[in-house]
Amino acid sequence: MAILRRVKDKLKKMIKGEKKASTRTSTSRFSAKKILRSIPERLKRKEALKEPKREILGARETAVGQTKFSHPETPKRYRAMPQDLPSQYGQDKLILQVRDPWWIHSYWEVRGDTLERFKEQLKDQFYKAKRLLRVYDVSHIIFDGKNAHRFFDIEINDYATSWYIDTAGPGRSWCVDYGLLLPDGTFVTILRSNTVYTPLEGPSWITDEEWMIPEEMFARLYGMGFGLGQSSPVGKAWQERIKHVLSSGMSSPGIASMASPVKKLPKERKFWLVVDCELIVYGATEPDAKVTVQDREIKLRPDGTFTLRFALPDGKQVIPVKAVSSDQIEERTITPIVSRETKNSILVKE
Amino acid sequence: MHGHLPYVRHPEHEDFLEEDWLYEGITETYIPLISMYEKLVEDGVDFRLTMTLSPTLISMLSDPLLQERYLKHINRLIELAHKEIERTTWQPPFQHLAITYLNQFCKARETFERYGRNLVTAFKKFQDMGKLEIITCGATHGYFPLMDVCRESVRAQVKVAANHYEKVFGRRPIGIWLPECGYHPGHDEILKEAGIRYFFTDSHGVLHGNPRPKYGVFAPVYCKGTGVACFARDLESSKQVWSSIEGYPGDYNYREFYRDVGFDLEFEYIKPYIHPDGIRINTGIKYYRITGTSNIKEPYVPQWARERAADHAGNFMFNRQKQVEYLYDFMQKKPILVSPYDAELFGHWWYEGPQWLDFLIRKIAFDQDQIRLITPSEYLAENPRNQVITPSQSSWGWKGYSEMWLQGSNDWVYRHLHAASGRMTELTKQFQHTSDNLVRRALNQALRELLLAQSSDWGFILGTGTHTNYAVKRTKDHLLRFTRLYEDIKSNSIDQDWLADIEYKDNVFPDIDFRVHQ
Repeated sequence: MAILRRVKDKLKKMIKGEKKASTRTSTSRFSAKKILRSIPERLKRKEALKEPKREILGARETAVGQTKFSHPETPKRYRAMPQDLPSQYGQDKLILQVRDPWWIHSYWEVRGDTLERFKEQLKDQFYKAKRLLRVYDVSHIIFDGKNAHRFFDIEINDYATSWYIDTAGPGRSWCVDYGLLLPDGTFVTILRSNTVYTPLEGPSWITDEEWMIPEEMFARLYGMGFGLGQSSPVGKAWQERIKHVLSSGMSSPGIASMASPVKKLPKERKFWLVVDCELIVYGATEPDAKVTVQDREIKLRPDGTFTLRFALPDGKQVIPVKAVSSDQIEERTITPIVSRETKNSILVKE
Repeated sequence: MHGHLPYVRHPEHEDFLEEDWLYEGITETYIPLISMYEKLVEDGVDFRLTMTLSPTLISMLSDPLLQERYLKHINRLIELAHKEIERTTWQPPFQHLAITYLNQFCKARETFERYGRNLVTAFKKFQDMGKLEIITCGATHGYFPLMDVCRESVRAQVKVAANHYEKVFGRRPIGIWLPECGYHPGHDEILKEAGIRYFFTDSHGVLHGNPRPKYGVFAPVYCKGTGVACFARDLESSKQVWSSIEGYPGDYNYREFYRDVGFDLEFEYIKPYIHPDGIRINTGIKYYRITGTSNIKEPYVPQWARERAADHAGNFMFNRQKQVEYLYDFMQKKPILVSPYDAELFGHWWYEGPQWLDFLIRKIAFDQDQIRLITPSEYLAENPRNQVITPSQSSWGWKGYSEMWLQGSNDWVYRHLHAASGRMTELTKQFQHTSDNLVRRALNQALRELLLAQSSDWGFILGTGTHTNYAVKRTKDHLLRFTRLYEDIKSNSIDQDWLADIEYKDNVFPDIDFRVHQ
């Protein structure tokens, strides 16, 4: 039961989006914010999120998907592998992946000799430099290192090897440099990433000439596409909502119940008690005798013993156990009479 | 319906907890669905369903060791059901249920034996009859958007799956369920190479595509550049089943998933039917209905649940009729509603799901003539002209994108997965034309290990944060085996005994050809 409850709690938390992001996530968010994000806008977004009763897309799928795997921890009993995964693969590499329309994840690796080369070149300056991720907006261009629409910097520590980057820019292309900001303001690139595209957060504004359709009709289809039905308000309000639902780093207190399948315990206190009774009736006779219990024939073990086990409800149970000898001449009956009464009390001290 | 389970098979252990995922799926989902199909055909009810059978699920269903173990599993359950019937003698509502379970388990065993222990043959039968359209999936259910930096791996996932499908079903797959519905623009090129004609996205995959989709999610679109068709999910019909707020499975008369005798009954009694180490697990015998929001649960009454399933089927159909009527009115074209669900939702999670589906199919066949069931390939044949757009990156996971598989608890794996993909590509290039049989075996095994490490299921479990040991173990084991193979192949020092051992343990896709990874 305890394990079960733990699973459920986790599930609920996850669905509520309360699950704490990793420290890395929060650090990156913090520093990104500190350096150049427009803070008011971000705060606004967060606040708008605190509406009650809202569903996160995919939450249910997640919960149901998880039931496929809902099992207690397997005890460890594998052959121990001699090594662990390497922390480095000896490459100079910076990889970006899209998490959602706003956030991208980056991880990188710099070879020791690559760093040595920079140390030699930059001498003292190397040690005075700040490590940065420089995030370039490279939408609709072939990036040559200089032609980005704009960029922003995230200061990181020397030991970080991955970072979540808040681009705040759905529908844009991004490229990131990992490098050094020298005291004189020069930026030296050590690694350059692949380019990624953050998906749109709403419908495209591009409508194909040939297929041009009235805005209003699309708004209705759009709302229906998200399951709002014909009578529901669609358009701007809905888009706002979707934006918030999908937006990252947010918490949605809305999904209060993971539906009824999740058992809810009293909210105030976690304490609980379950008691039930079972009755074991057992005995022995000649192995070839015929035995009935409450007029139902039962099977004897080869040595003539028998055991029956019953859930015992409240009330009186009369249990005649009758054995008839194989020659049908003798019949013996023993009748246990058992009654159960259950009382219940709860005392909560102030 | 998307049927998938990750590849879990441990011949090196007598009893392995996670193998139960398959056994539960067989008893609670796959066999009830097969029984439903059988009955529909027997009653002359025409129907169409599109169903994924993921390559790993197919492999497990056709594996002799797991088949043998399933029999052992179901026999144990039958034994427990017998005991339960006796134990509940003085509690008629429970005893009635115990008898129902006994019948269900015996029927499962009978069905399992009748198809020669290989349920894939059952699904194939209904596909060959034209009732089911079975589509494929990523070979091991790798999450494609987070493999975009190594598309060779996406290609391997797709090609291994398509080749496997062909071997099993005697034809090429025409459709695919992208694992987790995860689409990244450009991956349609890889689908096209494999001869796949359509896939699915979540609603926003098409709605946020570029340019705007004229008919929203109510008609398929073709991907720009490849012409592969993309069908998007209709959230309204999805929500009626999935939603935690108004979804059908939460009805108070339905069976409560979380109350199982494996957890509820006295330890010594239940011990032979739970994990040998005494860890309590779900057995599948559950006596309570959802009842309400409190933790006090009442006994399950099958008849009431059945009536609700019929009501819900009627309600679902009515809503689709209204939806279609409304849509047709201003589309002036027959809309299509795509309602995808995890197959394991039906029966496993939502016990009455198969009943609901059965009612729904029969009602659609007999009670109306406004809507009909159709497969994507039939729809495309009837409606070949569709808009061309580029769908948007999306998934049906938590929050609609990649966060479920890319967060603090699981983001560490990609560094290693991508490195392994890069190495696999390197090996393929270098040994493309090798004639050394041992090297070929090692290369094929390397690709198996890589694919197994890529299962989105491990990332998912890590993302949920509960019971993560097994997921970590699997990810690392496969990556470590891959790494050793890579090093052995490169240094021309393949350890034949060790190779044979991991071939025996990770035996998925016996006919794999490493050259697909490029």
